[in-house]
Amino acid sequence: MNETQPIKIISGVTTCKGKSILPVMAYKWGFIGISIFFMLASLFLLATKGLNYGVDFVGGTKNIYRFAEGTKIDDVRSALEGLDFGDIQVIAFEQDRQIPQYLIRVKSISGVDVSQILTDRLVKKFPGKTELVSQETVGPKVGADLQKKAIASVSLTCLLILIYTGFRFDFLFAPGAIIALFHDVLISVGFFAFFGKEFTLPILAALLTILGFSVNDTIVVYDRIRENIKHLPKHISASRIVDISLTETFSRTIITNLTVLLVVVALFLVGGGVLHDFAFCMIVGVIFGTYSSIFIASPIYLWLQKIFPNQGIKKDV
Amino acid sequence: MSFISWKTRLLILLALIIASLYQLAPTFLGLKDQKTALIAAKKDIPWYLSLLPEQELNLGLDLRGGLYMELSVDLEEAQRHQLNLLAIDLSRYVFKDKFPDSAPTVLDDGLIRITVKADARQAMIDALRDASYDDRVLTILPASNEAPNTLIIKPTDDYFTTLHNDTLEQASNAVRNRIDRYGVSEAGVSKLGSGRLAVEIPGVKNPEQVIDIIRRTGKLEFRLVDNSLDGDQIAGLIATKKTELGLSSEYDRDSVKKLNAALKEALPKDTSLAFEIERTRDNKAIKKATPYLVTNKVTVSGDMLSNAKVDSNNGSPIVSMSFNKIGAKNFGDLTKDNIGRSLAIVLDGVVMSAPRINSAITGGEAMIELGMGTYEALQREAKDLTLILREGALPASLTVESKNLIGPSLGQESIDAGLKSLLLAALIIVVFMMFYYRIGGVVANLALAINVLFIFAILCLFQASLSLPGIAGIVLTLGMAVDANVLIFERMREEKIMGKTVEAVVGAGYDNAMSAIIDGNLTTLISGLVLFEFGTGPIKGFASTLMIGIVTTMFTAIIVTRVFYDWMLTRQSLKKLILSV
Repeated sequence: MNETQPIKIISGVTTCKGKSILPVMAYKWGFIGISIFFMLASLFLLATKGLNYGVDFVGGTKNIYRFAEGTKIDDVRSALEGLDFGDIQVIAFEQDRQIPQYLIRVKSISGVDVSQILTDRLVKKFPGKTELVSQETVGPKVGADLQKKAIASVSLTCLLILIYTGFRFDFLFAPGAIIALFHDVLISVGFFAFFGKEFTLPILAALLTILGFSVNDTIVVYDRIRENIKHLPKHISASRIVDISLTETFSRTIITNLTVLLVVVALFLVGGGVLHDFAFCMIVGVIFGTYSSIFIASPIYLWLQKIFPNQGIKKDV
Repeated sequence: MSFISWKTRLLILLALIIASLYQLAPTFLGLKDQKTALIAAKKDIPWYLSLLPEQELNLGLDLRGGLYMELSVDLEEAQRHQLNLLAIDLSRYVFKDKFPDSAPTVLDDGLIRITVKADARQAMIDALRDASYDDRVLTILPASNEAPNTLIIKPTDDYFTTLHNDTLEQASNAVRNRIDRYGVSEAGVSKLGSGRLAVEIPGVKNPEQVIDIIRRTGKLEFRLVDNSLDGDQIAGLIATKKTELGLSSEYDRDSVKKLNAALKEALPKDTSLAFEIERTRDNKAIKKATPYLVTNKVTVSGDMLSNAKVDSNNGSPIVSMSFNKIGAKNFGDLTKDNIGRSLAIVLDGVVMSAPRINSAITGGEAMIELGMGTYEALQREAKDLTLILREGALPASLTVESKNLIGPSLGQESIDAGLKSLLLAALIIVVFMMFYYRIGGVVANLALAINVLFIFAILCLFQASLSLPGIAGIVLTLGMAVDANVLIFERMREEKIMGKTVEAVVGAGYDNAMSAIIDGNLTTLISGLVLFEFGTGPIKGFASTLMIGIVTTMFTAIIVTRVFYDWMLTRQSLKKLILSV
C-alpha cells in the first residue's frame, strides 16, 4: 500500500486536486448551532406534540375502504355516527385517485371485533360499491411490545456501529459517528412529529436505513482523515487535516447523497401508499445524515483528539 | 483480485449472469401458470419446461394480497394443563402401588405437593428417581418443619422451557394442519418466540372465516375401517364419480362431502370415504391421497383421550395414548370385537393414520406401533401422531393479537407503484452517471444492471419474499451501489491529477477506495441484520433485500467494474477514454 501511495503536494491552500480547502472547522460553531437548533426543536415537538404512532405501535384498527365515485368524507363520517368506539378518525387516503378511498382508524376495544362492525356498517350504508382494501388490527399487547423492540433495535444498531467503528478506526472516532447518528434519528423523528405523520413499522425501517447510510458517509470522511494523518507532513494541524479530508471527500459526499436523494424523491413521488412516508423519512434522513457526517462527526473527533492527545492513530514513522 | 486474469474473471461473471437468468426464467415466463394450465388441460408438460427451476420469485403478502396474523398461545394455560397431567402420571405410575395415599396436587405457584407417610420420604424420592424423574426434570425442595408430611417437588426451568417450546410447536402444527385441511395451500406458519405465532395466508377473501377455522379445535374420531370393498373397487368408484362431478385433485372438506353424497348408494350402509393425504415437503402440494372406507358410527372421539405421548417399546419409538373412563370403556368394547381390523384415526374428516387392532385394549392405555423405518423417521412419525392425537384437546388457547389484511387490488397497485419507482430511480441514476462520469458511468451502469439481476436471482434462490418495503430496499441499493463507484471514480480523478499512467490510476483508484467501500457497506449490513432479527413480514423482506443488495453491490462495484476496466486497459483505443473520468 505504501509504495503506491501518492505523494501529496500541499501548497498551503490547495489539495492535490487544486481546489481550495473548505474552512469547515473555522465555522464549526455555526454548523453545530444549526444542528442544536433542529435537535432542540425536535425534542420540544416530541415532548409537546408527541409522535403520531401508527396502529402497529399503539394497537387499534386501521381499515382502508374504497367507495363509489363521489362519496364525500363527510358521508363516511356521518355513516359511522352512533358507533360507540370513542374517537373515530376518517382520513382521505391518496386523494388524487378517482375512486374515493378513506382510511378509518379506531382504538381497539377488547372483546369487540371493531373491524367487522365498521365493515358491516359501511357496506349497509353504501351498498354495492364499498370495498375493504386493507385491514390492520393490532392488539395493545403487540403494540407495546413493538415500541420496546423498536427502541431496542435502534439502540442495538447504534451500539454495534459504535463497536465496529471503534475497532476499525479507534475510539476517538466512534463517539462522533454515534452522536451524528443520534442527531439524524432525532431530527427525522422530529420532522414526523412536526408534520403529524403516522409513525409506523416501515418508518422504523427507514430510520435504521438512515443509520446505515449516515454512518457510511461518516466513515468515508473518517477513512480519509485516518489516511491523511498517516501521510501528510507532521506540521499540519489536526483541524487542518480534517478540513483537507472533508474537501477531498466533498464531491463524493455530494454526488452520492444527491443520487440517493433523487432516488428517494422518486420513491416519494411514485411509490404510493406505504412508500410515500417511508421515502419522506429517508429524504429528511439523507439530508441531515449528509449534514451531520460533514459538520458534526468531524468536530467531535477533533475535540476528543485534543482531550486525549496521546491516543488514536499516529503518523507513520 | 488481480492475480486472476481478467479473462477468467469475465468467464466467472458470465457464468453467474447465466445462472441468474436461469433462476429467474420461470418468473419472467410465468411458468407456474403455464404448467397449471397444461395440467388442467390434461396435456403433457414439454421437456424444456421441466428443465427450468420450479421456484418463482416469492412475493410478500403486501404485494400479492392476503392475511397476516399474529396469534398468541396461552402458555400459562398449557403449563397448568401439563402439570395436572404430571400429577396424574405420578400417582398412576410412580406411587400407585407402594404409596397409594400420595395424592399429588398441583399448587398455584407451579409446585406439586405430595403427601408423605412417616419415614417414607426417602423411599418416595428413590421411587421418583427410579422412574427417571431426575434432577433435569424435577427438583425436590428440602423438608420443612411446618409441613413434615409433605414432599414438595418443583419442575425445573428446563422442564418448563421444553414444555413451552413443545406447546408452541404443537400449536404451530395444529394451526398449519387446520389451514391445510381446509384446502388453503401455500400458507406459512412460523414461531415468533415469546409465545407467538405468525400466520401468513395469501389471497384470503374472508379473514373472519379463516380465523374461525384456525381457532376451532379439530374433531378427532376413531373409526373402524370397513373391509367389504377392496382397494380396486373403491378406486374405481372414486374415479368414475370424480369425473362425473368434475373434481380433479381436490380433497378439501367440501369436495369429499360432495363425493360421499354422490356415492351414497354405491357404498355399503353406514360407511363413507375418507382420505389419507400425503403432501410434498416443500410446497405442501398433495402428493398422494389414499382412500379409506370407514364406518359412520363413532364411539371413541378425541375428547375421550386424556393424553398421548411418544414412548418406546424395545428401543423403537411408539405412541402411547390414555383414555378417560368413558373412553377406556368404549375403546375396550370397540377393540374387543374387532381384532384384526384397522382403526382409522380421523381428524376433521381426514385420515391421519390407520393402525391395526392387535388385541383387545380394556385398561384405557393403548399403544400404537409404527411401521418400518429408521429410528429418526419413526421418532418423527411418532411425534407427528401424538400432535394429531392431542389436537382434540389443544391445551393452549389461541388469541389473535394482530391481523393485517391486504386486498388483492391494493397488492397489484403496490406492485405497479413499486416497479414504477424502481424504474424511475434507475433511469435517474443511469442518466446522471453517464453524464457525470462518461465512460466510467457506462461501466457503472452495466454493473448496476448486473447488480439488480443478481438481487432478484438471489431472492428467488433463497425464496425470500419480496415485499413493498423490499422494493424500496432495492431502490436504496441502487443508491448505495452508485456510492461505491463514485468512491472509486473520485479516487481515480485524484490519482489522474497526480499524473500517473492509466494502469496506475485504475489500480490506485480501486485500492485506495476499497477500505471506505468495505467499512461503509459493513455498517449498513449491521442495521440490516438488526432489522432482520427484529422485524416480521414486510420489514423482514426489507431487511433481506437490503442485505442481499449490500453483498451484490460490493461484488459488482468492486469486481465486476474492475473486469471491464482491465479489459479496456488491453485496448489502446480505450485506454485514453478511461482518463476522461
